[in-house]
Amino acid sequence: MMGLSGRLLTYIAVAVSFVAVAMSGNGFFIQAALGIAISAILALSWDILSRTGQVSLGQSAFFGIGAYGSGILTPVIGAVFGWIVGILLCAVAAILIGLVTLRLRRLYFTIATLSFGLSMQVLIVMTPRITGGSTGIMPPVIMGASPSAQLMLITGFLIVSAIVSDIFLGDRFRPAFFMIRNNPALAASSGVPVVKTKILAFAVSGMIAGIAGACYAGLYGYVIPEDVFTPNWSVLPLAVSILGGMDTTLGPILGAVVLRVLEEVARHFVGGAGYQVVYGAVIIVFIIILPKGLVGGLTQLFRKRTRKAAPVAPAEAAS
Amino acid sequence: MTWVSFAQAVLLSLTVAGLYAAIAAGLTLTVGVTRIINFAHGEFVMLGAFLTYWLFTRFGLSPWIGMLISGLVIGLFSAVVYRSFLARVLKHDEHNQLLATLGLSILLLNIAIILWSPDPRVMQAPQLLPALELSGVTIPGNNLVVAAVGGLLFLFLQFVMRHTRYGTQMRFASDDAELAQHCGINVDRVFELSFVIGGFAAGVSGGLVALLLYVHPAVGLDLVIRAFAIITLGGLGNIPGALIGAAILALAEGLTSTFVPNGGSFGFGIAFLLLLFVLLVRPNGLFGRQVQ
Repeated sequence: MMGLSGRLLTYIAVAVSFVAVAMSGNGFFIQAALGIAISAILALSWDILSRTGQVSLGQSAFFGIGAYGSGILTPVIGAVFGWIVGILLCAVAAILIGLVTLRLRRLYFTIATLSFGLSMQVLIVMTPRITGGSTGIMPPVIMGASPSAQLMLITGFLIVSAIVSDIFLGDRFRPAFFMIRNNPALAASSGVPVVKTKILAFAVSGMIAGIAGACYAGLYGYVIPEDVFTPNWSVLPLAVSILGGMDTTLGPILGAVVLRVLEEVARHFVGGAGYQVVYGAVIIVFIIILPKGLVGGLTQLFRKRTRKAAPVAPAEAAS
Repeated sequence: MTWVSFAQAVLLSLTVAGLYAAIAAGLTLTVGVTRIINFAHGEFVMLGAFLTYWLFTRFGLSPWIGMLISGLVIGLFSAVVYRSFLARVLKHDEHNQLLATLGLSILLLNIAIILWSPDPRVMQAPQLLPALELSGVTIPGNNLVVAAVGGLLFLFLQFVMRHTRYGTQMRFASDDAELAQHCGINVDRVFELSFVIGGFAAGVSGGLVALLLYVHPAVGLDLVIRAFAIITLGGLGNIPGALIGAAILALAEGLTSTFVPNGGSFGFGIAFLLLLFVLLVRPNGLFGRQVQ
């Protein structure tokens, strides 16, 4: 585990590189960085939930609720409160979903979560008075439509998500989370409040995914149900986290960068339709070669190096 | 709403159920034995649909033979996929298995888009069976074919699982892979066999898709998402459960799109609202066993 200084360094490194892109004023890089930041936030939200063993394919539900909530409420009660209420709405939805899926085991859980995003889509289409139905809504664009200001704001959200993720990787929560994942019965008998912890993870994960959705709505100023509730937003965080490395904070961020770079390369060679072929190829290659993701692979490499460099320090390591 | 239009809607829905059941039965067999959700099952169906379509348009081969060939080819293809790739992720964590088949699904879908363009095609096949007319209710011939083939496929899978040596081995490996291994069953081979049978069912279902719907790269994705709802409704691994789940879903969809205004636009929503209610009451599906 990284110490406090290491974590601070990570935050600073991430913030500095995103802000540098924002300052550069290069439209292409800023748009790419915006996309990376949103997928990194979404991936962090998925990763936090997965640490309790809840492998979800339902992040699109919260992403969409965040987008719709903030988009509908901002014109009514202002941007700040609109976002806060929109994100709290995600927490409420997440707690409800968490309670419903509590009894479901593994594959049943995954398929049930997949169903939420798709069911939300129907809910939106059925309530055109409030949500605009299938024609969608036009939420106000954030930060006066200035891309570099938008990127600064979203970088702020990314850092906040990273801090939250690290809090759940800290001493207070880490043991409980991983114990629930590996053996729920043992966790319960050791005094871990299993239900409470699972629901907490769901609520936090839902809120962070909601932030990503609100950012998306605020960036593009146009939200339709097919865009925000598509299963793509559920698959993306899974792919990003596993590529980067699960159960870490750096992993999802790194994964988002790598996937975006590969996507741009593929778009260049393949063109508009079918560029997502690179997603499939990368996922398969990574699962076979680097099942622990980039961060896991790098850590292993690093450990091997240090072991070779210092072969005579067993007593020190043991103490 | 007249009696005739109601009966028409119900009977047409039941023929669609034949297609859903054909896809879901293959999927649930594989999931039941290997405990891997094969997201690429939909792409196997899509490949089967394209194959049947080409065999018909290029070589004039009857869709009856076309879907059989598709089944065999996709079955072989599943064996290749299993050996080269899926066998390696069997020992991995659940999320990695999930991502592995998702990756395969995305890969096949986009390769199909690049090679064959995302445009939908119509096979314009002749009606393989004469249309059925019963006191004002008409069922087109190809809908009958779909229902019949779906039913036959179901009987075939049920026979393999219940009355053959391989079926017994598959059920044993699914109950306790380790114990089966100790009893001298080649579990790896049994898992591969379940993928081959699932792939065969997917290929044949692809032929049905070509008869009944448009043929395009994303057709499998639409269907496999419904199939997930169906197999979860019926209980993972339960083949008769998949048949009943398919009938329930097809009826619910058919009746809403006929009798609810704007009901056709609900799409998957119906499937999943249904699923949520069932899982609330029975967390292992309608006919599922307790699984760990």
